[in-house]
Amino acid sequence: MNDQPLDYSILPPDPGGARPTWDPSAAAAGLIATAVLALAIYSGSANLLHFDAALVGYTLATLFLAFGATYRLVTWSRSPAARRYLSKSRKALLPRPLGDGTLTASAREVTSTVLLQRFIAKRSRPRWLAHQGLFWGVILATLITFPLTFGWIHFRAVPGTGSGYYVYMMGVRAAHLDALSLLGWLTFHALDLASLLILSGGAYFLWHRWSTRGNSLTQLGRDLMPLLALMAISVTGLALTVSSVFMEGAWYQPLAFVHMCTVVLTLVWIPFGKFFHTLQRPAMAGVGLHKELGVQKGGVAQCVRCGEPVEGTIFLDDLKQTMGELGLGFGDWVETCPSCKRLERGAAYRNHVKEGYR
Amino acid sequence: MRRALPVMAPGIGSFRKERSRARTKPRPREERLVETHCCYCGVQCGMYLRVSGDGKVFGVEPRDHDINKMKLCPKGVTAYQQVNHTDRLTTPLMRDRRDQPLRPVSWDAAFDRVVSEIQTIQAKYGADAFAVYSGSSLTTEKCYLMGKFARVALGTKHVDYNGRLCMVSAAGANKKAFGVDRAANPWSDMLETDVIMLLGANVGECFPVATQYFWGARDRGAKLITVDPRETPIARTADIHVPLRPGTDAAFCNAVLHVIEREGLVDEEFIAARTIGWGQLREKVREYPPERAGKICGVDPALIEQVALTWGRADKAMAFHARGIEHHTQGVNNCLTVINLVLATGQIGRPGKGYGTITGQGNGQGGREHGQKSDQLPGQRMIEDPEARAHICRAWGITDEELPHKGTSAVEMVHQAERGEIAGWLGICNNPLVSMPNTDRIARGYDSLEFHCQIDFFLSETCVRADVVLPSTCWAEDEGVSTNAEGRVIKYNKAAEPPGEAKPDWWIVCEIARRLGRHADKFGFGSAREIFEELRVASAGGLADYSGMTYERIEQSGGIFWPCPSEDHPGTPRLFEQSFAHPDGLARFHAIDWQHPAEEVDDEFPLRLTTGRTVAHYLSGNQTRRIDALVQQTPSPWIEVHPDLGYSNGDPVRIVSRRGSATYPALVVASIRRDTVFIPYHWATPVAANLMTVDALDPTSLIPEFKVCACRIEPGVAMDETMPPPVPPGGQSYDFSRMTDRQPSAPQGRGTGRG
Amino acid sequence: MTKKALFIDPGRCIGCQACVAACRECDSHPGKSMIHLDYPDPGNSTAAAPTVCMHCSDPVAPCAQVCPTDAIPIDEQGIVGSASEELCIGCGNCVHACPFGVPKLDLVEMLQSKCDMCYDRTSQGKLPMCASVCPTDALFFGTQAELMQKRPGVQAVDIFGFGDETVRTNNAMVAPAGKNLDRIPGGYSREPDSRE
Repeated sequence: MNDQPLDYSILPPDPGGARPTWDPSAAAAGLIATAVLALAIYSGSANLLHFDAALVGYTLATLFLAFGATYRLVTWSRSPAARRYLSKSRKALLPRPLGDGTLTASAREVTSTVLLQRFIAKRSRPRWLAHQGLFWGVILATLITFPLTFGWIHFRAVPGTGSGYYVYMMGVRAAHLDALSLLGWLTFHALDLASLLILSGGAYFLWHRWSTRGNSLTQLGRDLMPLLALMAISVTGLALTVSSVFMEGAWYQPLAFVHMCTVVLTLVWIPFGKFFHTLQRPAMAGVGLHKELGVQKGGVAQCVRCGEPVEGTIFLDDLKQTMGELGLGFGDWVETCPSCKRLERGAAYRNHVKEGYR
Repeated sequence: MRRALPVMAPGIGSFRKERSRARTKPRPREERLVETHCCYCGVQCGMYLRVSGDGKVFGVEPRDHDINKMKLCPKGVTAYQQVNHTDRLTTPLMRDRRDQPLRPVSWDAAFDRVVSEIQTIQAKYGADAFAVYSGSSLTTEKCYLMGKFARVALGTKHVDYNGRLCMVSAAGANKKAFGVDRAANPWSDMLETDVIMLLGANVGECFPVATQYFWGARDRGAKLITVDPRETPIARTADIHVPLRPGTDAAFCNAVLHVIEREGLVDEEFIAARTIGWGQLREKVREYPPERAGKICGVDPALIEQVALTWGRADKAMAFHARGIEHHTQGVNNCLTVINLVLATGQIGRPGKGYGTITGQGNGQGGREHGQKSDQLPGQRMIEDPEARAHICRAWGITDEELPHKGTSAVEMVHQAERGEIAGWLGICNNPLVSMPNTDRIARGYDSLEFHCQIDFFLSETCVRADVVLPSTCWAEDEGVSTNAEGRVIKYNKAAEPPGEAKPDWWIVCEIARRLGRHADKFGFGSAREIFEELRVASAGGLADYSGMTYERIEQSGGIFWPCPSEDHPGTPRLFEQSFAHPDGLARFHAIDWQHPAEEVDDEFPLRLTTGRTVAHYLSGNQTRRIDALVQQTPSPWIEVHPDLGYSNGDPVRIVSRRGSATYPALVVASIRRDTVFIPYHWATPVAANLMTVDALDPTSLIPEFKVCACRIEPGVAMDETMPPPVPPGGQSYDFSRMTDRQPSAPQGRGTGRG
Repeated sequence: MTKKALFIDPGRCIGCQACVAACRECDSHPGKSMIHLDYPDPGNSTAAAPTVCMHCSDPVAPCAQVCPTDAIPIDEQGIVGSASEELCIGCGNCVHACPFGVPKLDLVEMLQSKCDMCYDRTSQGKLPMCASVCPTDALFFGTQAELMQKRPGVQAVDIFGFGDETVRTNNAMVAPAGKNLDRIPGGYSREPDSRE
């Protein structure tokens, strides 16, 4: 058995593009995004009137997130392939004049890929269920906590009822809730529900990682931290509920601090690690539709060697442009199907390298 | 799906995904590795089976064993998938009449039926009316037991094994020339040789892992000569390839020796010191100038000269052959002409100088030397040799009168069944409905039996005709030894428990013997190890002497070459260094005349049909036709025809011989002779190659002439359908439906580029 | 060259597809084979040619460069991995940009995967599945020195020509020693009729 470790003395050239270099214009975009968010918080909370000072940590982390995510999105979209597909994706999804069906097509595309993530179900059903748990848990939590943190939503007790609350949105009284009603109970425990969704999905993924061998190049490490972060948020969040409902608030303050720490760290982490796919994937949601529309419009290109369909003509033209921009000088080679590329290379080897390899 | 799938360029989706849901599960983290060997061909590659925490075999890991140095072929890689296969037999099956379907029954019910049928038939027609037909893919312990069971428990002379379809011609020739039947050299000797001649051996496909020795020799500058009607993957790059006509090997070898003798390249010293019979042979080969042989073989005489000079001038040379020259009515003679060549040039008994046959079955060697062959007793003893009989009678504790004499061979036994001379049959580890020649006649033979019991772990095409089918273990569920093509004894280890109620073959056979009652005490074995201990005693003093081997020694050493007569003996990797096994220590030359095959071509049947294997399948395919990766590689058979015959790839071609006909898709290849067509034989009726083959036998070895018969081809109408292998009651047949295109792109199967 | 790499010699390949079967046994992609095995001259010859990822180093991994979501990871030793499951949108850019025709695409799962040189095995010092089982060493894994020692009379070439462009790779092809080759022809040239 070979037990020598891989011994690379020659490192390959720098993998271009993957190296982070400081990008001032992306930073500017990030600052603008941060400023816009700050302004929204300021005005949405009636000039910080409804802003809960205890939540300032969350707010700062979110502001950093706005900067980081924008910065990353801008640098990402600089790569020729991403830029081309971001714009094609947007165009494919943009509603066109009603009646030609593209609006429903877009809606279906978004539902299928962004909300239901049906491609995951095709890979593995249990994994899809678990991912849906994570996804909806995070969506629910985000929809509740961000407006609360920013002071965009706040509650005020209806005097004299004991359990009645007015709900204020952007400073305007929008609804009335009885905390003892089912709707009221759900509203005040929505975050607990979100935590449970996340925990059950996360538990599956943890078990899956633990019990099976995976691909360490694409999975381990990168994968585990985000998962643990989400689960830590959920556990500490649930602990807050337990403290207030069953323990008469014991340990509430230290728990709240720990919870905030987990959330802040996670928010700050989003632009850098696996979490970034939560922004990348929706941004690319229209690519499938774009390819399909492209085939309808431009037809399918046949392999120049075997005549079998290769891909949509428009797709290949896009790819050739991308390759040209990247300085890959064999863009026309895409007109040959991958199978024929291999056969041609095999023939070239037989004709020019090892003749007589009949 | 909401919308049509996107455009898919050829081959980009060809993951060759596994079919069964259970199999695509990610691998468990908990595992242990079980050291064992592959169950398939005569190379017997070492491998580890990966076993999960809950005792299920779930994968394979390459093992750096002396034989294969981690290498495996596609069959070896996927062999483990037999273990938890959904097609496995998990309960005894039985039926009262042949027109009923097989139904699951208890072991007791099955044993009661088997025992009462044996007793009835033997009482009615005599002991010899019940036959045992065994196999060589069993461990040596089981092979030994089958011979003992037939002769001691049943008292029948009719016992034989499926090596009769495989390498008995080489065995017969080796016995005649050398006095012992074993490959003369370990394969590592090849690495020191200068010339290798490979006759009738499609090594690249039938023994892929052995290729590394040939390539290793060539890397060091050795020349490779191949002799085969087809330009097989190993012949493709050979230095000299002789595409001779099937059935003309003896003429070719005689002519090669003719040139060597003419040029004075024979080793007079060796001939004088170590051989007998050169004078006669020299006269004989003088009758075979290359011009004459060239006409017989259909090759350029200059090619024969070239081969002869290359071989004759080599300092060290080795010859290997396989079924290509053995599956003939002159199979033994063919092998003898190769041995003549080796002996006349003194190319034997030294590193880099040697000779061997490449056994086709995993335990082809071990299976033929411990007494399940119709004419042999354990230790490669001849059954009519009084001394051998006395030794075995002592070992078994029976009298000479109780030990039957020589019986008939495998194909003959089926023909006897057709004539009503054999009425009862116990088959184990074989599938003659695919593997024997002239399938229709074989089917008639089996259908004529009054009682037929078959032991197997998958339901074969032969099992479905049986009255009782007993479920046994596959190789990973039991331990035991096996002897590879070099004569090296290796050991299989148990990796998992048998599924359901399946039992080890030795337990089943011993249980039948115990219930029959005749010498029941001689079958009290409780484990494979106990049988091996008895085998050591029985083989002691014989040619194939295993008496010095123990399980522990075999495992510690990476295999022991027999003879190994004592526990401090290192084994014998290279034979004939000092002397040959005849009493006088000399080797024998044999003057051989080339004879026509049993069936020559004529106007009605102008082409020669030759049959063989393809790399993805093994023997009758009962194992490999169920393994998804292998079926995807090669789903169904084809007929290989030369471009000059005017067919295009995929055309339906109907082949007709005097015995049968079938329609296959054409695979048009320039790598086959234009007067020859080829069909791989792993599939069953209606696409069985053996529907066409001739059941003529070699007079000495009684091997059938699989490699040549007369046929004609014509444009076909509809392709005959390849049937999925049979499955037990309630099982699900293999589903070909997701394979839109089953046409192979090459003799090795379908490339991954299309489909 | 002291690094370990795959050296490919189609001239030795017997087309048995052990590599194809073995690839499915790798734990990183159980049940799926990433290797290609083609018969380049069906009908005339039993010749075969295996294709694994060459792990391009210059230009670095065209597949990763054309990926719109940066889904294809490259480790510090230059090993180009399969697309990350959470990022890959199954667009197929990599499949068609790869000059060697390597990446595979599952159109149902909308997921690319490709040969990653058995990352999980090689990073633990084990041989890649395909090279460890290959009966003829048509796929050989080791250092160039090891290759030369086993096979005098060969050279290893890790530069491929595609038209006027060259692509340098981490894995290499084996060629006869005497042959004056500055690059292995990749099969692509701008004149459509240059092939036989």
